[in-house]
Amino acid sequence: MEPERWAQVSRIFNSAIELDSEARDAYVERECGADESLAHEVKRLIENHQKASAQDFIAEPAFANQSSSESKTLAAGQRLGPYLILQHLGTGGMGEVYLATDARLDRRVALKVLSPELAHDKRRMQRFQQEARMASALNQPNILTIFEFGEINSLNLLATEYIEGQTLRQYLRSHKLKLSEILDISIQILSALDAAHEAKIVHRDIKPENVMIRSRDHVVKVLDFGLAKPTESGSSTHASDLEGDTQYKTAAGTVLGTVNYMSPEQAQGFAVDERTDLWSTGVVIYEMVTGQMPFKGRTKSHILVDILENEPVSLSEVSTFAIPDELTRIVDKALAKQLDERYQTAKDMLIDLRKLRKQLDVEAEMRRSVGPALVAKSQTTMSIAGTPTVETGGLQTSKAIKYVILLFAAIVVGGGIWFATKLRHVQEPPSQTTAAPVTKQSLTYSITVQKYRNNKPFEEPFQLAKEMLFERDYQIRLNVNGPKSGYLYILNEGPHEKGKAAEFVVLFPSPKSNGGSALINDNERIHIPENSWITFDQEKGTERVWLVFCQKAVADLEPIRGFVNDETKGLITDSSVSDRVQQFLRSHSTDKPTVEQNTEQRQTRITSTSDILVHAIDLEHQ
Amino acid sequence: MNKPPPSKPHEITELLEKWSGGNQAALDQLYPLVYEELRRLARSYMRREPKGHTLQTTALINEAYVRLVDQHSVRWQNRSHFFAISAQIMRRILVDHARQHLQAKRGGGAKRISLDEVMIVAKERSEEVLMLDEALANLARLDPRRSQVVELRYFAGLNNSEIASVLQISENTVMRDWNLARAWLYQKLSETA
Repeated sequence: MEPERWAQVSRIFNSAIELDSEARDAYVERECGADESLAHEVKRLIENHQKASAQDFIAEPAFANQSSSESKTLAAGQRLGPYLILQHLGTGGMGEVYLATDARLDRRVALKVLSPELAHDKRRMQRFQQEARMASALNQPNILTIFEFGEINSLNLLATEYIEGQTLRQYLRSHKLKLSEILDISIQILSALDAAHEAKIVHRDIKPENVMIRSRDHVVKVLDFGLAKPTESGSSTHASDLEGDTQYKTAAGTVLGTVNYMSPEQAQGFAVDERTDLWSTGVVIYEMVTGQMPFKGRTKSHILVDILENEPVSLSEVSTFAIPDELTRIVDKALAKQLDERYQTAKDMLIDLRKLRKQLDVEAEMRRSVGPALVAKSQTTMSIAGTPTVETGGLQTSKAIKYVILLFAAIVVGGGIWFATKLRHVQEPPSQTTAAPVTKQSLTYSITVQKYRNNKPFEEPFQLAKEMLFERDYQIRLNVNGPKSGYLYILNEGPHEKGKAAEFVVLFPSPKSNGGSALINDNERIHIPENSWITFDQEKGTERVWLVFCQKAVADLEPIRGFVNDETKGLITDSSVSDRVQQFLRSHSTDKPTVEQNTEQRQTRITSTSDILVHAIDLEHQ
Repeated sequence: MNKPPPSKPHEITELLEKWSGGNQAALDQLYPLVYEELRRLARSYMRREPKGHTLQTTALINEAYVRLVDQHSVRWQNRSHFFAISAQIMRRILVDHARQHLQAKRGGGAKRISLDEVMIVAKERSEEVLMLDEALANLARLDPRRSQVVELRYFAGLNNSEIASVLQISENTVMRDWNLARAWLYQKLSETA
């Protein structure tokens, strides 16, 4: 097959298999047009896709012995009370974990089936249930939410929030963390601990495996609060028994079980309190900074001895990059062997880390500011932009930028030229009427900003919902998701004089995100573009970004797909198409959606009561 | 307990660095070193693990990585490279074993192979492994990335998020690539069957 042909086949195939079977054929025929052999090719592939997934074709890796499928208690497609099992996610110390949907609320959950060993130990099960109940009362954004705990078909199940992302362990393996990111993760772990400790819940097993980083926004979630208890293994709690302790037997797929994060009091089998979590967090920070463990040894016994007897090599000596003395002090204090010399509360440690982050932010801002008038303003901006959303892919793909769309006006401040733009929402929320209309469409979006200097990425990208000061060379990415699946179209309307025809650039669908498809899945966050950035050009005027979202494909907008190629770079060059687009947008923008900004999560939610949601974001110059 | 790794971590780390830097000759030197280690580990895994225990390729490659690569001086990108090369090697090891196994079963095996080597690929899967290897080679000519997604998942046992980080693409793209490649491979195999 020719490469162009294959590209065509794969594009249509990828979009088609996301559709219902009824819509699928019509879609394929529409996309293939008169090309019957292309349609045949795609349909045959779809048929084989269905067979392959029904038969679990090559679902298991070659190098797994046959028992791996038997070891799973539940199969995909199986129903268990209100839960429909979708996929086996993994097997951990506590049991197997599945992705499932809860039919009652139509939401995705992570469903843990507790291992029979745990379920058969009555005393531990009681403790477990009690703590699960307590932990489920914790309501803090950095704590994984527990929905339900119970028994169905004699299986003990725990349903929790499902997080799409990586554990900090996986993240550490594939990313080199920057100081700001380390602080950010540490602060979020401690925020979780602070809330839990307030509720008198001690985690007891803080380690990178129990910390998740959500892919879409890098929010940190601490898992298994009050659930994981390496020190509480029935009758045996003494350190000398630990080597034979089944709790440390590594679960399938993990190479090492670990005692590395244990506090001295845990290592000795003494009673533990909140301060044990602060020690373990200290170990995690040490590891994030240096890539090494503070306490090491060939065997578990050696590690335990190291924890009890030795001082770790100072953070500043091991670190491969310059770190502030204050961070060394914080980690040293967390790793104080004497309980009364350690941080006494999560709040104290949290405050110190926040202070440090703020101080570093201010210093960085002072260094790059060009005029004193701007310093104050920029600092507030930085505090909005606290959480960096680092995407390593974006840093190397600046050359891949194809869209040149938005513009900036210059204002001269001091010696430097600044470009300031304010993002303003054109539509205000409609006034509330007594009978609330039914919500039909909803989308959430945010904007990720990457600063560039001298054509090089500068600082980590950060996310915003609302407004900030833009400088020349800033580049952006749009992040969009919604609770329901549907067709998304995003257009940029360039500046134009009144009465004159508008110029439109297609930002989405695009081959650079979502595999070229306009159909986005429910709750799936789409990045536009996926791995590169949208650049701003520097003409004067007002730019507008249109978001259109509908459950069905929008016929008036479908023709814009024809302009998504390297030649036009998304610019709609056919005036009959852009006229049709303009007409569509004008006629549909009368139903104004409700706009809610969440400054905490740095995102904006728009909801509409009509079938087609149309929303415009204005990029206005100050 | 485990024997010490057969070569110095520094050597492998340096070779990885060179290869990442575009030096193809480094790959030629790297290949046999990683091959030996993975093969040795695979065999010791088979001996060590009780029957009925799930054997995971990722665990194996992780272990090889920890043992072979000098953790202190390695850059994180090298880990991706290590996984990519290990997936290729695992594929070769598994295909070789499957081939030997089938020969032994048909009585045509010229050389004797030990039991633990045969067990690496489950009996009923030997044929699947060989056919898939061939079809995958064809897919690689048409679409190298999608073929690599299958290689990393089927032969190296990586999950979507690990594949995404090795190939520097999003998890969604991995999922879509997997669907397409799997449908294509299924089609090819059912044509030849």
